[in-house]
Amino acid sequence: MENSKEILTELQEIAPILGKDGVSRIPYTIPSGYFEDFSAILMSRIHLETAGIPDPVIAGMLNRNEPTELSPLEEISGISPLLAGIQKKNPYQVPAGYFEALKTKIPSSAVSSSIDASENIPSKRVALDSSLSTSDSIHFQQGSITSQVKTVFTFSRAMKYAVAACLVGLLGITIYNMNNRNVTDPISGLTTVSEQDMANFLDAGDFHWTPVTTSETASVDFSDNDIHALFSNVSDAELEQYHPVLLAEKGSVN
Amino acid sequence: MAELTTDTELLALFREPATKEKAFTVIVKKYQERLYWHIRRMLVDHEDSNDVLQNVFIRVWNALGGFREDAQLYTWLYRIATNECLTFIEQQKKKAAVSLNEMESGLSNKIRADKDFDSNKLEWKLQLAIQQLPEKQRVVFMLRYYDEMPYEEMSRVLETSAGALKASYHHAAKKIEDFILNH
Repeated sequence: MENSKEILTELQEIAPILGKDGVSRIPYTIPSGYFEDFSAILMSRIHLETAGIPDPVIAGMLNRNEPTELSPLEEISGISPLLAGIQKKNPYQVPAGYFEALKTKIPSSAVSSSIDASENIPSKRVALDSSLSTSDSIHFQQGSITSQVKTVFTFSRAMKYAVAACLVGLLGITIYNMNNRNVTDPISGLTTVSEQDMANFLDAGDFHWTPVTTSETASVDFSDNDIHALFSNVSDAELEQYHPVLLAEKGSVN
Repeated sequence: MAELTTDTELLALFREPATKEKAFTVIVKKYQERLYWHIRRMLVDHEDSNDVLQNVFIRVWNALGGFREDAQLYTWLYRIATNECLTFIEQQKKKAAVSLNEMESGLSNKIRADKDFDSNKLEWKLQLAIQQLPEKQRVVFMLRYYDEMPYEEMSRVLETSAGALKASYHHAAKKIEDFILNH
């Protein structure tokens, strides 16, 4: 084991100035009687900690000369004596009897909103106290009033239902239109009927049907003679009944 | 019990519930000054040192029952005290959100603020010089210079090899000398 002399020799080889007399003297001072009282103070702290008293309290009691926490008044007095001198009077006022009425208003409004919401709109139940269960029906008591838990309508949830309903409706309309078009379209319907069936149908009824091959035959121009021939066996009374204007035309054609 | 001097005997008494407190008080009285000065030289301020010293002994009270005697008690105590000091310095840095250099200058300012401070006296210059050292070198220098701790013991306290500690001490002593000569 090295002794002090060896350590001093080592030091004088490295840094001679540090080996001078008095250099190693510690210049710090300590409060008088500090070491005499230390063990007693320490044991008191250990006893208190064993008893479960929080450490900061003990430290404040026994050791540090730290100032204890100031009261709000002392604190503000230190910061601004002006503010400390101002009376903390509330300048605002409420209508007379507001707080008394509030006590009864809050439970009743909770009941009415609960009923309204549960009758009409899908709603989400919110537990007012986390210790309560989140079952479907939660009740709380306030004074003599028993009310349902306040129900809260959630707009986003209603929107989801509305959008889903719209989509279903659009889909239904589209399907309906597609099916209906197949039934009402005469051309598409005829494609499923054979020519023989159509001939049999026409023979059974008193139909006089001449097939029209082109649209040009439907737009043949009538000459004046043709018109005279058409109207020659129609009486004037019948023409007047049809339209007064045609009477003049009849004159011109007959 | 005051005449009992060996740590082994004190530890045996500490493990007995009937003599636990008395044995502990003897241990405290035996080591309090050495540990206090070790802490004080690290932290400068008496109140901080007092706080840390109490915390050290409370840790000792809680852990001494399980202390294995494969190391000397005072080595173990120094280790706890050094760790507590470093933890305290770390906490102070976090609280003040300052860098290590700023923390060291803060400790230097504390030295200069001491009512007995005299910049012409060598012992005060030495304290200022110590605060300029990196943390590890500071601990090594103080354990060796003031506590005259052998390197082997120091290696158990700081969990560093004796060779590395010798190099640290050498560097620290040279830096301190330079500081004293230039200030």
